[in-house]
Amino acid sequence: MSDEQRSLIALSDQLADAVAKAGAALVAVHARPRLPSTGVHWRDGVVVTTEATVRRDSDINVTLPDGSRTSATLAGRDRGTDLAVLRIAPGRLPVAPLGDPARLQPGHLVLALARLDGTAPRAAFGAVSATGGRWRCWKGGEIDLLVQSDLSLYPGFGGGPLVDASGRVQGINSGGLSRPLATTIPVATVNRVVEQLLQRGYVSRGWIGAAMQPVQFDAATRKRLQRDGGLLLLSIEPDAPAAHAGLLVGDVIVTIDGVPLDTPDQLRDRLAGDVVGISLKLEVARGGTIVTSDVQIGERPRSRQ
Amino acid sequence: MTVSFVSDAAARLIPSVVAIVDGAERGGGGAGIAWGASGLIVTNAHVATHRDVTVVAADGRRARGAVVARDARRDLAVVRASGLELPGAPTGDPARLRPGALVFAVGHPFGVHDAISAGVLQAVGRLPRGFPINGRGAYPWVQADVRLAPGNSGGPLADAAGLVIGVAAMIVGGLALAVPAPDVDALVATVT
Repeated sequence: MSDEQRSLIALSDQLADAVAKAGAALVAVHARPRLPSTGVHWRDGVVVTTEATVRRDSDINVTLPDGSRTSATLAGRDRGTDLAVLRIAPGRLPVAPLGDPARLQPGHLVLALARLDGTAPRAAFGAVSATGGRWRCWKGGEIDLLVQSDLSLYPGFGGGPLVDASGRVQGINSGGLSRPLATTIPVATVNRVVEQLLQRGYVSRGWIGAAMQPVQFDAATRKRLQRDGGLLLLSIEPDAPAAHAGLLVGDVIVTIDGVPLDTPDQLRDRLAGDVVGISLKLEVARGGTIVTSDVQIGERPRSRQ
Repeated sequence: MTVSFVSDAAARLIPSVVAIVDGAERGGGGAGIAWGASGLIVTNAHVATHRDVTVVAADGRRARGAVVARDARRDLAVVRASGLELPGAPTGDPARLRPGALVFAVGHPFGVHDAISAGVLQAVGRLPRGFPINGRGAYPWVQADVRLAPGNSGGPLADAAGLVIGVAAMIVGGLALAVPAPDVDALVATVT
Protein backbone atom coordinates (compact mmCIF):
# COMPACT_ATOMS: atom_id res chain seq x y z
CA MET A 1 0.00 0.00 0.00
CA SER A 2 1.36 3.42 -0.97
CA ASP A 3 1.98 6.28 1.45
CA GLU A 4 -0.71 8.24 -0.31
CA GLN A 5 -3.25 5.51 0.16
CA ARG A 6 -2.32 5.09 3.82
CA SER A 7 -2.79 8.82 4.42
CA LEU A 8 -6.09 8.78 2.55
CA ILE A 9 -7.39 5.93 4.70
CA ALA A 10 -6.13 7.78 7.80
CA LEU A 11 -8.04 10.90 6.74
CA SER A 12 -11.12 8.80 6.07
CA ASP A 13 -10.89 7.28 9.56
CA GLN A 14 -10.40 10.71 11.11
CA LEU A 15 -13.51 12.06 9.41
CA ALA A 16 -15.54 9.04 10.54
CA ASP A 17 -14.21 9.59 14.10
CA ALA A 18 -15.32 13.23 13.92
CA VAL A 19 -18.79 12.17 12.82
CA ALA A 20 -19.06 9.63 15.65
CA LYS A 21 -17.82 12.11 18.28
CA ALA A 22 -20.21 14.94 17.38
CA GLY A 23 -22.96 12.55 16.33
CA ALA A 24 -23.25 11.25 19.91
CA ALA A 25 -24.67 14.68 20.86
CA LEU A 26 -27.28 14.85 18.09
CA VAL A 27 -31.00 14.16 18.25
CA ALA A 28 -33.70 13.92 15.61
CA VAL A 29 -36.33 16.61 16.26
CA HIS A 30 -39.92 15.70 15.42
CA ALA A 31 -41.67 19.04 15.18
CA ARG A 32 -42.95 19.05 11.60
CA PRO A 33 -44.76 16.70 9.24
CA ARG A 34 -42.82 13.88 7.56
CA LEU A 35 -39.06 14.28 7.80
CA PRO A 36 -37.54 15.25 11.18
CA SER A 37 -34.85 17.90 11.49
CA THR A 38 -31.63 17.68 13.50
CA GLY A 39 -30.97 19.10 16.96
CA VAL A 40 -27.68 19.60 18.84
CA HIS A 41 -27.46 18.84 22.59
CA TRP A 42 -25.88 22.21 23.32
CA ARG A 43 -25.95 22.14 27.11
CA ASP A 44 -27.21 19.41 29.40
CA GLY A 45 -30.96 19.27 28.83
CA VAL A 46 -30.90 21.96 26.14
CA VAL A 47 -31.27 21.17 22.42
CA VAL A 48 -30.76 23.75 19.65
CA THR A 49 -32.25 23.45 16.18
CA THR A 50 -33.37 25.82 13.43
CA GLU A 51 -36.52 27.85 13.99
CA ALA A 52 -37.92 27.17 10.53
CA THR A 53 -37.99 23.40 11.13
CA VAL A 54 -40.02 23.71 14.36
CA ARG A 55 -43.49 23.93 12.86
CA ARG A 56 -45.46 23.45 16.06
CA ASP A 57 -45.12 24.77 19.61
CA SER A 58 -46.16 21.62 21.47
CA ASP A 59 -46.24 17.84 20.96
CA ILE A 60 -42.52 17.88 20.14
CA ASN A 61 -40.42 14.70 20.47
CA VAL A 62 -36.78 13.95 19.94
CA THR A 63 -35.08 10.65 19.05
CA LEU A 64 -31.86 10.07 20.99
CA PRO A 65 -28.76 8.32 19.58
CA ASP A 66 -29.77 5.10 21.37
CA GLY A 67 -33.05 5.08 19.44
CA SER A 68 -35.30 5.99 22.36
CA ARG A 69 -37.83 8.80 22.02
CA THR A 70 -38.35 11.47 24.64
CA SER A 71 -40.58 14.51 24.82
CA ALA A 72 -39.25 18.04 24.48
CA THR A 73 -40.69 21.43 25.34
CA LEU A 74 -40.10 24.56 23.31
CA ALA A 75 -38.16 27.11 25.40
CA GLY A 76 -38.42 29.72 22.66
CA ARG A 77 -37.74 30.59 19.06
CA ASP A 78 -35.97 33.45 17.33
CA ARG A 79 -36.89 34.00 13.70
CA GLY A 80 -34.18 36.62 13.28
CA THR A 81 -31.35 34.12 13.71
CA ASP A 82 -33.38 31.03 12.66
CA LEU A 83 -32.77 29.33 16.02
CA ALA A 84 -35.12 27.46 18.35
CA VAL A 85 -34.30 26.02 21.76
CA LEU A 86 -35.89 22.90 23.26
CA ARG A 87 -35.66 21.51 26.76
CA ILE A 88 -35.30 17.76 27.35
CA ALA A 89 -34.60 15.73 30.48
CA PRO A 90 -30.95 16.23 31.51
CA GLY A 91 -28.31 13.50 31.50
CA ARG A 92 -29.64 11.57 28.52
CA LEU A 93 -26.74 12.09 26.07
CA PRO A 94 -23.33 13.80 25.87
CA VAL A 95 -23.13 17.56 25.40
CA ALA A 96 -21.72 18.64 22.03
CA PRO A 97 -17.99 19.57 22.04
CA LEU A 98 -17.92 23.23 20.96
CA GLY A 99 -15.19 24.79 18.83
CA ASP A 100 -14.11 28.30 17.96
CA PRO A 101 -15.44 29.22 14.51
CA ALA A 102 -13.40 32.45 14.51
CA ARG A 103 -10.43 30.19 13.69
CA LEU A 104 -12.04 28.72 10.57
CA GLN A 105 -10.55 29.84 7.27
CA PRO A 106 -11.60 29.22 3.68
CA GLY A 107 -10.33 25.78 2.67
CA HIS A 108 -10.70 24.11 6.07
CA LEU A 109 -12.35 20.71 5.75
CA VAL A 110 -15.74 20.58 7.46
CA LEU A 111 -18.69 18.23 7.81
CA ALA A 112 -22.39 18.89 8.15
CA LEU A 113 -24.10 16.31 10.34
CA ALA A 114 -27.65 15.14 10.78
CA ARG A 115 -29.60 12.65 12.81
CA LEU A 116 -32.87 11.44 11.34
CA ASP A 117 -33.43 8.41 13.56
CA GLY A 118 -31.80 6.29 16.26
CA THR A 119 -29.23 4.74 13.94
CA ALA A 120 -25.91 6.32 12.95
CA PRO A 121 -25.58 10.05 12.30
CA ARG A 122 -25.39 11.25 8.69
CA ALA A 123 -22.60 13.30 7.19
CA ALA A 124 -21.94 15.63 4.28
CA PHE A 125 -18.42 16.78 3.48
CA GLY A 126 -16.94 19.97 2.09
CA ALA A 127 -14.76 22.96 2.73
CA VAL A 128 -15.23 26.37 4.29
CA SER A 129 -15.87 28.77 1.38
CA ALA A 130 -16.09 32.17 3.00
CA THR A 131 -15.54 33.70 6.41
CA GLY A 132 -16.06 37.20 7.69
CA GLY A 133 -17.13 39.39 10.56
CA ARG A 134 -20.48 40.35 11.99
CA TRP A 135 -23.37 40.45 9.51
CA ARG A 136 -27.11 40.72 9.44
CA CYS A 137 -29.06 37.95 7.76
CA TRP A 138 -32.16 38.62 5.67
CA LYS A 139 -34.35 37.42 8.52
CA GLY A 140 -33.08 40.38 10.54
CA GLY A 141 -30.88 38.72 13.16
CA GLU A 142 -27.34 39.78 14.00
CA ILE A 143 -24.86 36.97 13.30
CA ASP A 144 -21.46 37.33 15.00
CA LEU A 145 -19.39 35.71 12.23
CA LEU A 146 -19.88 34.80 8.60
CA VAL A 147 -19.21 31.10 7.99
CA GLN A 148 -20.28 29.69 4.64
CA SER A 149 -19.30 26.27 3.35
CA ASP A 150 -19.38 24.35 0.12
CA LEU A 151 -21.41 21.41 1.32
CA SER A 152 -24.86 20.04 0.62
CA LEU A 153 -27.52 20.36 3.30
CA TYR A 154 -29.70 17.34 2.51
CA PRO A 155 -33.29 16.99 3.70
CA GLY A 156 -33.18 16.78 7.50
CA PHE A 157 -29.74 18.45 7.84
CA GLY A 158 -31.23 21.80 8.92
CA GLY A 159 -30.53 22.43 12.61
CA GLY A 160 -27.54 20.09 12.52
CA PRO A 161 -24.00 21.13 13.36
CA LEU A 162 -21.08 22.21 11.21
CA VAL A 163 -18.11 20.30 12.62
CA ASP A 164 -14.42 20.52 11.90
CA ALA A 165 -12.18 17.56 11.11
CA SER A 166 -11.71 16.90 14.83
CA GLY A 167 -15.45 16.70 15.50
CA ARG A 168 -15.83 20.06 17.26
CA VAL A 169 -19.14 21.84 16.66
CA GLN A 170 -18.63 25.25 15.01
CA GLY A 171 -22.27 26.26 14.83
CA ILE A 172 -25.73 25.36 13.58
CA ASN A 173 -26.41 24.94 9.85
CA SER A 174 -29.41 26.78 8.51
CA GLY A 175 -30.96 25.67 5.25
CA GLY A 176 -32.98 28.84 4.94
CA LEU A 177 -30.47 31.63 5.46
CA SER A 178 -28.71 31.55 2.12
CA ARG A 179 -28.24 29.47 -0.98
CA PRO A 180 -26.35 27.88 -2.64
CA LEU A 181 -23.67 27.92 0.07
CA ALA A 182 -24.53 26.43 3.44
CA THR A 183 -24.68 29.10 6.13
CA THR A 184 -23.69 28.36 9.72
CA ILE A 185 -24.90 30.28 12.76
CA PRO A 186 -21.67 30.39 14.79
CA VAL A 187 -21.22 29.23 18.38
CA ALA A 188 -21.16 32.77 19.86
CA THR A 189 -24.49 33.69 18.27
CA VAL A 190 -26.05 30.40 19.34
CA ASN A 191 -24.83 30.93 22.93
CA ARG A 192 -26.28 34.45 23.01
CA VAL A 193 -29.66 33.36 21.64
CA VAL A 194 -29.82 30.25 23.85
CA GLU A 195 -29.22 32.42 26.92
CA GLN A 196 -32.08 34.78 26.03
CA LEU A 197 -34.51 32.06 24.94
CA LEU A 198 -33.93 30.10 28.17
CA GLN A 199 -34.35 33.24 30.27
CA ARG A 200 -37.40 34.82 28.69
CA GLY A 201 -38.50 32.72 25.72
CA TYR A 202 -37.68 35.29 23.08
CA VAL A 203 -34.85 37.56 21.93
CA SER A 204 -35.30 41.16 22.96
CA ARG A 205 -34.62 43.69 20.19
CA GLY A 206 -34.64 47.47 20.36
CA TRP A 207 -37.51 49.26 18.61
CA ILE A 208 -38.66 52.82 18.03
CA GLY A 209 -41.88 52.09 16.14
CA ALA A 210 -41.36 53.99 12.91
CA ALA A 211 -41.10 53.09 9.25
CA MET A 212 -38.42 54.94 7.31
CA GLN A 213 -36.42 55.07 4.12
CA PRO A 214 -33.03 56.56 3.30
CA VAL A 215 -32.99 59.97 1.58
CA GLN A 216 -30.28 62.27 0.21
CA PHE A 217 -30.62 66.03 0.73
CA ASP A 218 -30.41 68.43 -2.19
CA ALA A 219 -27.27 70.54 -2.49
CA ALA A 220 -28.70 73.60 -0.76
CA THR A 221 -29.99 71.62 2.25
CA ARG A 222 -26.73 69.71 2.42
CA LYS A 223 -24.84 72.97 2.61
CA ARG A 224 -27.15 74.57 5.14
CA LEU A 225 -27.41 71.56 7.50
CA GLN A 226 -23.88 70.22 6.93
CA ARG A 227 -25.44 66.74 6.51
CA ASP A 228 -25.71 64.53 3.41
CA GLY A 229 -29.02 62.85 4.22
CA GLY A 230 -30.64 60.47 6.65
CA LEU A 231 -33.72 58.37 7.29
CA LEU A 232 -37.08 59.87 6.32
CA LEU A 233 -39.91 58.87 8.67
CA LEU A 234 -42.81 57.47 6.63
CA SER A 235 -45.09 56.43 9.47
CA ILE A 236 -45.03 56.38 13.25
CA GLU A 237 -46.97 53.90 15.32
CA PRO A 238 -49.20 55.30 18.04
CA ASP A 239 -47.83 54.94 21.56
CA ALA A 240 -44.44 53.85 20.20
CA PRO A 241 -41.09 55.29 21.40
CA ALA A 242 -40.81 57.50 18.30
CA ALA A 243 -44.22 59.04 19.05
CA HIS A 244 -43.32 59.62 22.71
CA ALA A 245 -40.12 61.36 21.59
CA GLY A 246 -42.20 63.82 19.57
CA LEU A 247 -40.99 62.66 16.16
CA LEU A 248 -43.23 63.49 13.21
CA VAL A 249 -43.85 61.92 9.82
CA GLY A 250 -41.58 63.80 7.40
CA ASP A 251 -38.75 64.22 9.89
CA VAL A 252 -35.36 63.02 8.68
CA ILE A 253 -33.21 61.35 11.35
CA VAL A 254 -29.62 62.32 10.51
CA THR A 255 -27.71 60.97 13.50
CA ILE A 256 -28.28 58.64 16.44
CA ASP A 257 -25.91 59.03 19.38
CA GLY A 258 -23.81 61.26 17.12
CA VAL A 259 -23.43 58.54 14.44
CA PRO A 260 -24.62 59.57 10.94
CA LEU A 261 -27.35 57.36 9.47
CA ASP A 262 -27.45 56.47 5.79
CA THR A 263 -29.37 53.19 5.82
CA PRO A 264 -32.02 51.58 8.07
CA ASP A 265 -29.52 48.78 8.80
CA GLN A 266 -27.28 51.26 10.60
CA LEU A 267 -30.16 52.15 12.88
CA ARG A 268 -30.95 48.43 13.39
CA ASP A 269 -27.31 47.85 14.32
CA ARG A 270 -27.59 50.55 16.98
CA LEU A 271 -30.79 48.94 18.27
CA ALA A 272 -29.20 45.46 18.53
CA GLY A 273 -28.03 44.06 21.82
CA ASP A 274 -28.94 45.23 25.30
CA VAL A 275 -30.51 48.63 24.53
CA VAL A 276 -34.12 48.35 25.64
CA GLY A 277 -34.92 51.14 28.12
CA ILE A 278 -31.89 53.33 27.41
CA SER A 279 -32.22 56.83 25.97
CA LEU A 280 -30.48 57.80 22.72
CA LYS A 281 -30.04 61.30 21.32
CA LEU A 282 -31.36 61.87 17.80
CA GLU A 283 -30.56 64.75 15.46
CA VAL A 284 -33.52 65.36 13.20
CA ALA A 285 -33.86 67.59 10.11
CA ARG A 286 -37.23 69.29 10.37
CA GLY A 287 -38.40 72.44 8.52
CA GLY A 288 -34.92 73.24 7.28
CA THR A 289 -33.17 73.12 10.65
CA ILE A 290 -31.72 70.48 12.94
CA VAL A 291 -33.59 69.72 16.15
CA THR A 292 -32.55 67.22 18.78
CA SER A 293 -34.74 64.70 20.52
CA ASP A 294 -34.21 61.94 23.08
CA VAL A 295 -35.88 58.64 22.32
CA GLN A 296 -36.24 55.94 24.94
CA ILE A 297 -35.71 52.65 23.13
CA GLY A 298 -38.60 50.22 23.48
CA GLU A 299 -38.77 46.50 22.97
CA ARG A 300 -39.89 45.28 19.58
CA PRO A 301 -43.30 43.62 19.96
CA ARG A 302 -42.98 39.85 19.61
CA SER A 303 -45.45 39.89 16.71
CA ARG A 304 -42.90 41.96 14.74
CA GLN A 305 -39.88 39.76 15.41
CA MET B 1 4.61 13.16 -0.26
CA THR B 2 1.99 14.85 -2.38
CA VAL B 3 -1.37 15.35 -0.76
CA SER B 4 -3.73 14.51 -3.58
CA PHE B 5 -7.26 13.46 -2.85
CA VAL B 6 -8.21 10.05 -4.15
CA SER B 7 -6.10 9.99 -7.31
CA ASP B 8 -4.09 6.91 -6.39
CA ALA B 9 -7.08 4.74 -5.57
CA ALA B 10 -9.00 6.15 -8.54
CA ALA B 11 -6.17 5.56 -11.00
CA ARG B 12 -6.10 1.90 -10.04
CA LEU B 13 -9.86 1.60 -10.47
CA ILE B 14 -10.25 3.35 -13.84
CA PRO B 15 -8.99 0.39 -15.99
CA SER B 16 -11.91 -1.63 -14.57
CA VAL B 17 -14.50 0.98 -15.51
CA VAL B 18 -16.20 0.86 -18.91
CA ALA B 19 -18.65 3.01 -20.82
CA ILE B 20 -21.90 1.47 -22.06
CA VAL B 21 -22.36 3.76 -25.05
CA ASP B 22 -25.67 2.64 -26.50
CA GLY B 23 -27.60 2.50 -23.30
CA ALA B 24 -30.68 4.52 -22.54
CA GLU B 25 -29.16 6.89 -19.99
CA ARG B 26 -29.68 10.54 -20.85
CA GLY B 27 -26.52 11.89 -22.43
CA GLY B 28 -25.87 8.78 -24.49
CA GLY B 29 -24.85 6.08 -22.08
CA GLY B 30 -23.72 5.05 -18.68
CA ALA B 31 -20.87 3.32 -16.94
CA GLY B 32 -20.09 -0.24 -15.98
CA ILE B 33 -17.57 -2.01 -13.82
CA ALA B 34 -15.63 -5.26 -14.23
CA TRP B 35 -16.83 -7.01 -11.09
CA GLY B 36 -14.26 -8.76 -8.92
CA ALA B 37 -13.05 -12.10 -10.22
CA SER B 38 -16.32 -12.85 -12.03
CA GLY B 39 -15.12 -11.85 -15.50
CA LEU B 40 -18.44 -10.03 -15.89
CA ILE B 41 -19.41 -6.39 -16.17
CA VAL B 42 -22.03 -4.91 -13.88
CA THR B 43 -24.12 -1.86 -14.77
CA ASN B 44 -27.61 -0.50 -14.13
CA ALA B 45 -30.66 -2.10 -15.73
CA HIS B 46 -31.70 1.39 -16.84
CA VAL B 47 -28.36 1.74 -18.70
CA ALA B 48 -28.28 -1.67 -20.44
CA THR B 49 -31.83 -1.61 -21.73
CA HIS B 50 -31.17 -3.79 -24.80
CA ARG B 51 -30.04 -7.41 -24.95
CA ASP B 52 -26.83 -6.36 -26.67
CA VAL B 53 -24.72 -3.35 -25.76
CA THR B 54 -21.45 -1.80 -26.84
CA VAL B 55 -18.81 -1.72 -24.14
CA VAL B 56 -15.87 0.71 -24.33
CA ALA B 57 -12.87 0.23 -22.06
CA ALA B 58 -10.92 3.14 -20.55
CA ASP B 59 -8.13 2.56 -23.12
CA GLY B 60 -10.60 2.80 -26.00
CA ARG B 61 -11.03 -0.89 -26.83
CA ARG B 62 -14.60 -1.66 -27.89
CA ALA B 63 -16.53 -4.92 -27.72
CA ARG B 64 -20.05 -6.21 -28.04
CA GLY B 65 -21.60 -7.36 -24.80
CA ALA B 66 -24.63 -9.49 -24.03
CA VAL B 67 -26.88 -8.87 -21.04
CA VAL B 68 -26.86 -12.20 -19.19
CA ALA B 69 -28.78 -11.22 -16.06
CA ARG B 70 -31.08 -8.38 -15.12
CA ASP B 71 -32.93 -7.24 -12.00
CA ALA B 72 -35.01 -4.21 -12.94
CA ARG B 73 -36.30 -3.66 -9.40
CA ARG B 74 -32.76 -3.46 -8.07
CA ASP B 75 -31.70 -1.59 -11.23
CA LEU B 76 -28.87 -4.02 -12.01
CA ALA B 77 -27.74 -5.73 -15.20
CA VAL B 78 -24.85 -8.11 -15.77
CA VAL B 79 -23.05 -7.99 -19.12
CA ARG B 80 -20.68 -10.54 -20.64
CA ALA B 81 -18.27 -8.97 -23.13
CA SER B 82 -16.34 -11.83 -24.67
CA GLY B 83 -12.98 -10.84 -26.00
CA LEU B 84 -12.59 -7.79 -23.78
CA GLU B 85 -10.05 -8.55 -21.07
CA LEU B 86 -10.48 -6.20 -18.11
CA PRO B 87 -8.91 -6.23 -14.64
CA GLY B 88 -11.69 -6.99 -12.18
CA ALA B 89 -12.16 -4.33 -9.53
CA PRO B 90 -11.83 -5.51 -5.93
CA THR B 91 -15.09 -5.21 -4.03
CA GLY B 92 -15.94 -4.72 -0.37
CA ASP B 93 -18.93 -4.68 1.94
CA PRO B 94 -20.08 -1.08 2.66
CA ALA B 95 -21.53 -2.21 6.01
CA ARG B 96 -18.05 -2.09 7.59
CA LEU B 97 -17.68 1.65 6.81
CA ARG B 98 -18.77 4.40 9.17
CA PRO B 99 -20.63 7.60 8.21
CA GLY B 100 -18.06 10.22 7.22
CA ALA B 101 -15.72 7.72 5.58
CA LEU B 102 -14.32 9.01 2.28
CA VAL B 103 -15.86 7.55 -0.86
CA PHE B 104 -15.52 8.35 -4.54
CA ALA B 105 -17.38 7.60 -7.74
CA VAL B 106 -15.95 6.98 -11.21
CA GLY B 107 -18.16 7.47 -14.25
CA HIS B 108 -18.84 9.53 -17.32
CA PRO B 109 -21.02 12.43 -16.10
CA PHE B 110 -22.42 14.34 -19.08
CA GLY B 111 -20.09 12.31 -21.31
CA VAL B 112 -16.86 13.31 -19.53
CA HIS B 113 -15.03 10.01 -19.43
CA ASP B 114 -13.64 8.52 -16.22
CA ALA B 115 -14.43 11.55 -14.10
CA ILE B 116 -13.95 11.30 -10.34
CA SER B 117 -16.31 12.78 -7.78
CA ALA B 118 -15.47 12.47 -4.12
CA GLY B 119 -17.39 12.80 -0.87
CA VAL B 120 -18.33 10.85 2.23
CA LEU B 121 -20.56 7.95 3.17
CA GLN B 122 -23.81 9.01 4.74
CA ALA B 123 -25.53 5.74 5.56
CA VAL B 124 -25.94 2.14 4.45
CA GLY B 125 -29.47 0.79 4.58
CA ARG B 126 -32.98 1.93 3.90
CA LEU B 127 -33.71 5.58 3.30
CA PRO B 128 -35.01 7.46 6.33
CA ARG B 129 -38.75 7.63 6.85
CA GLY B 130 -40.16 10.74 5.27
CA PHE B 131 -37.42 10.96 2.65
CA PRO B 132 -38.57 11.41 -0.97
CA ILE B 133 -37.94 7.84 -2.11
CA ASN B 134 -39.61 7.40 -5.52
CA GLY B 135 -40.91 3.99 -4.51
CA ARG B 136 -37.46 2.54 -3.88
CA GLY B 137 -37.44 2.87 -0.11
CA ALA B 138 -37.84 -0.83 0.54
CA TYR B 139 -34.27 -1.64 -0.52
CA PRO B 140 -31.00 -1.02 1.27
CA TRP B 141 -28.82 1.58 -0.45
CA VAL B 142 -25.33 2.90 -0.03
CA GLN B 143 -26.20 6.57 0.59
CA ALA B 144 -23.38 8.99 -0.11
CA ASP B 145 -22.69 12.71 -0.22
CA VAL B 146 -21.15 12.53 -3.70
CA ARG B 147 -22.13 14.58 -6.72
CA LEU B 148 -23.40 12.32 -9.49
CA ALA B 149 -24.83 13.20 -12.89
CA PRO B 150 -26.30 11.36 -15.89
CA GLY B 151 -23.44 9.18 -17.14
CA ASN B 152 -22.41 8.04 -13.64
CA SER B 153 -25.11 5.37 -13.58
CA GLY B 154 -23.72 1.86 -13.44
CA GLY B 155 -20.27 3.06 -12.36
CA PRO B 156 -18.50 2.20 -9.13
CA LEU B 157 -18.71 3.90 -5.76
CA ALA B 158 -15.50 3.03 -3.93
CA ASP B 159 -13.96 3.61 -0.50
CA ALA B 160 -10.59 5.16 0.42
CA ALA B 161 -8.85 1.79 -0.05
CA GLY B 162 -10.21 1.58 -3.59
CA LEU B 163 -12.67 -1.26 -2.90
CA VAL B 164 -15.93 -0.99 -4.84
CA ILE B 165 -18.74 -0.83 -2.28
CA GLY B 166 -21.64 -0.22 -4.64
CA VAL B 167 -22.97 0.49 -8.12
CA ALA B 168 -24.09 4.12 -8.56
CA ALA B 169 -27.76 4.05 -9.53
CA MET B 170 -29.57 7.29 -8.85
CA ILE B 171 -29.88 10.59 -7.04
CA VAL B 172 -32.71 11.22 -4.59
CA GLY B 173 -33.01 14.51 -2.75
CA GLY B 174 -29.48 15.31 -3.96
CA LEU B 175 -28.20 12.16 -2.28
CA ALA B 176 -26.24 9.60 -4.33
CA LEU B 177 -27.66 6.10 -4.04
CA ALA B 178 -25.69 2.99 -4.96
CA VAL B 179 -26.68 -0.68 -4.91
CA PRO B 180 -24.64 -2.31 -2.10
CA ALA B 181 -21.90 -4.69 -3.28
CA PRO B 182 -23.41 -7.77 -1.54
CA ASP B 183 -26.64 -7.30 -3.54
CA VAL B 184 -24.54 -7.10 -6.73
CA ASP B 185 -22.66 -10.26 -5.72
CA ALA B 186 -25.98 -12.06 -5.33
CA LEU B 187 -27.05 -11.26 -8.91
CA VAL B 188 -23.60 -11.98 -10.37
CA ALA B 189 -23.65 -15.39 -8.60
CA THR B 190 -26.76 -16.39 -10.56
CA VAL B 191 -24.85 -16.11 -13.85
CA THR B 192 -21.99 -18.54 -13.44
